[in-house]
Amino acid sequence: MADKFETLEQQLELFIENTRQIGIVVSDFQPQGQNVLNQKLNTMVNEMQELDKLRSQVQDVNVPLEVFDYIDQGRNPNLYTRDCLEKALTKNEQVKGKVDNLKKFKALLMVELNKVFPQEMNMYRAWKGNDRPA
Amino acid sequence: MQTSPRSSPRDRGSRSPAYPRQDSTGTLKATISFAPGKNPSVTQTGTFYLMKDTPEPTEISASINLLAHYGLEHSYNKYFGKKVKEELSSFLPHLPGNIDSPGIQDNSSLRSLIEKAPITGKELHPLSGSSLTGFRLHPGPLPEQYQMMAQMPNKKKKHKKRSREMDTAKGNALQVAQTPDNAADTEARKPKKVKKEEDNTKEKRKKKKEKKKKKQKHSPEQQSQTHGGADSAS
Repeated sequence: MADKFETLEQQLELFIENTRQIGIVVSDFQPQGQNVLNQKLNTMVNEMQELDKLRSQVQDVNVPLEVFDYIDQGRNPNLYTRDCLEKALTKNEQVKGKVDNLKKFKALLMVELNKVFPQEMNMYRAWKGNDRPA
Repeated sequence: MQTSPRSSPRDRGSRSPAYPRQDSTGTLKATISFAPGKNPSVTQTGTFYLMKDTPEPTEISASINLLAHYGLEHSYNKYFGKKVKEELSSFLPHLPGNIDSPGIQDNSSLRSLIEKAPITGKELHPLSGSSLTGFRLHPGPLPEQYQMMAQMPNKKKKHKKRSREMDTAKGNALQVAQTPDNAADTEARKPKKVKKEEDNTKEKRKKKKEKKKKKQKHSPEQQSQTHGGADSAS
């Protein structure tokens, strides 16, 4: 799985490098550089063809749309992963707090109900014991 | 069956005034015992009113450490152990140009690519001779506002293979742009000493800047590296 990303990354780097070289040639163009420019343009088309071939290998890769917002803002996409982990951890702690508090409340409620309705609580415990699967 | 006016509305289903209702004691599964010598008593043998079945207990719930359960502790330490840099250029250090600016400014955002998807599915063919005539350029430098591709990114970490490939490619491109006689052969040649070429390119850039300043002051002069009698496009 990592190989296909490695190949794609290398191909993209070649494409970017070729584009950068075209930019350098064009930034201060000389007539004798026309042939080189034409070669590099055809190289660009060939590299696009290679990238198009690699498309099928990464067809099943899903990227969250929120990552694109981070990139469009010029921010590191690793920050998105970090924010996701942070949100997951915060939510985990919140719900764990709720679960723990509800357990404590249940225990206290059972104690108080046992004081006020002892017979009903005995029936409740008996029914709970019969109802639960062995 | 008469109901007491004092009975609460909830007992008779929030209906007022009270009226006789159908007897539904059988559904409560209550048993009435008439033991001799004892007072009659009503005992419930069914479940409690509004009692629901408890859900089956699950192994995975928020009461456990879910990061540890899914094996994400290493990722957590990686992202929270050290500071993650804010800039996009720290994630992609080898990309040329200024990538930290928002994509909306220069219409290069990924969102616009998703909202207005380009036409795909067409075959890519190399450009023919007639197609390449449209790429004939006039000689001369671009205005400085468009010379962004010449800005080299700060390379902090270099992989040996990639740095060599990029340096040789850069050397090839610069040789093509600045040495007129060997323009056709530079693609085949590979520079032996990369560092000297980098120094040369930096010196040439300084010379170009000085020449531009002179051009702004005086009439356009011929460049020393080009042929004599180059035509001015404008």
